[in-house]
Amino acid sequence: MASEPQHLLRSFDQELARLRDLISEMGGIVESQVAGAARAILDRDTAAAAQVMEEDKRVDALEQEVEQFVIRTLALRQPMAGDLRQVVAALKITGDLERIGDYAANVAKRSVVLAQFQLPYSLAGLGHMARLVQENLKSIIDAVGEADAEKAVRVWRSDLAIDDIYNGLFRELITYMMEDPRNITPCTHLLFIAKNLERIGDHATNIAETLHYVVTGAPLTEARPKGDTSAYAVVRPSE
Amino acid sequence: MNVDSGMERPGVAVGRLSEQAALAGPRISIRNLNFFYGTTQALKGIALDLPDRQVTGMIGPSGCGKSTLLRVLNRMYDLYPGQRAAGEVMMDGQNIISPDVDVIALRARIGMVFQKPTPFPMSIHENIAFGVRLHEKLSKARMDERVEQALSRAALWDEVKDRLGASALGLSGGQQQRLVIARTIAIRPEVILFDEPTSALDPISTMKIEELIDELKSEFTIALVTHNMQQAARIADQVAFFYLGELVEASTAAQMFTAPREKRTQDYITGRFG
Repeated sequence: MASEPQHLLRSFDQELARLRDLISEMGGIVESQVAGAARAILDRDTAAAAQVMEEDKRVDALEQEVEQFVIRTLALRQPMAGDLRQVVAALKITGDLERIGDYAANVAKRSVVLAQFQLPYSLAGLGHMARLVQENLKSIIDAVGEADAEKAVRVWRSDLAIDDIYNGLFRELITYMMEDPRNITPCTHLLFIAKNLERIGDHATNIAETLHYVVTGAPLTEARPKGDTSAYAVVRPSE
Repeated sequence: MNVDSGMERPGVAVGRLSEQAALAGPRISIRNLNFFYGTTQALKGIALDLPDRQVTGMIGPSGCGKSTLLRVLNRMYDLYPGQRAAGEVMMDGQNIISPDVDVIALRARIGMVFQKPTPFPMSIHENIAFGVRLHEKLSKARMDERVEQALSRAALWDEVKDRLGASALGLSGGQQQRLVIARTIAIRPEVILFDEPTSALDPISTMKIEELIDELKSEFTIALVTHNMQQAARIADQVAFFYLGELVEASTAAQMFTAPREKRTQDYITGRFG
């Protein structure tokens, strides 16, 4: 969007720039929240967990600021065409970012409980999933900053890999629980953690769809490949 | 922002707003229309349909040709030597810019309302009856009926029914504009051309005229030149953007104001022009 000619009314350009700054600030915090949440589980880093939960307040405040800014802009500027898409998208994107922040905070909260348990198995799968989610989140936040619709489509498509890992983790964790009921508490937390990471990936794809519409004016309407099949999964003990 | 980024790849279905809000079939079809003021070409190869009983808003910077196009549609330019149009403006199978068209009859079919209200210095009743008499012979009772119909249709009757004999010049600007609209519809045209009909009016009078135009489209095909983009957004079904005598883009209002196809349109309607 930087290549656009300026508005005749320059204060409107400044306002749109301010809106982009708010979103990029929010994106930066949310990215660090997700990274912190991953560290909190994988490295049993409770200080990181505390910070993630603390940062959530700033994210919520930024979301409210964007919301008020957007309402004010709609009322006072009556934006049209690309400006309209940008302003409305700001509202949607910050909504998605705020949810991502919530999920990160929830992962952080559970990591504190999880740290009290000795886990008899490796968290490598979860670590892999967390890395992919962070990559996708970073890519989509960069894409928003660069108004890059092609990058958005790549993120949108790559969510399938995250869903696949989630399905694998789901089955794996249920197996541990069946093996030994003492695993039920930590594994339930791990299930929620995995689900939260998977949802973060979904919100990244929401942002990708919004961004595609902002840049091209056309919605991304192809049915997104959805890979989370855990809702239908049945795992039975062998008889 | 790149409007056409080439994202329409196979497999990514693209839904357009224009497909949702369909335009009606054309009442007037303009094809390859060129217009000259002397040697200056003011319209270049215009192709545009005015959908039947819908509102076509025409926008663009001053001098872009939108008012010229209205003047072509009811042959106003005939009054000025040195001005000429070439091309096709088809209505009911007839090219209305061809020299053998009866211009007086044409203007009864295609009425026009201007930027400034133009009441005649006569009574309110006579302002309407005067035009009707040029085209029809009506008894007094039938004429009174026609006047009342026209004033009611123009949402003015309740305000003037007790002073039909008073001078039209005593009406407010907004009332005068509605009187002019009543005068236009009393002749029972098929198409009404509005050239910035509210630019001299206050916001409430403007809203009344907009509501009226929205009402009138159930019966008439309407073309509206306006500098107020919000106005085009509010009442037009189709919007056409003109620039330097060319039609840059025409699409549904929803498409135009959310996702115009052309960069020049985008720049103009977001205020990035110049």
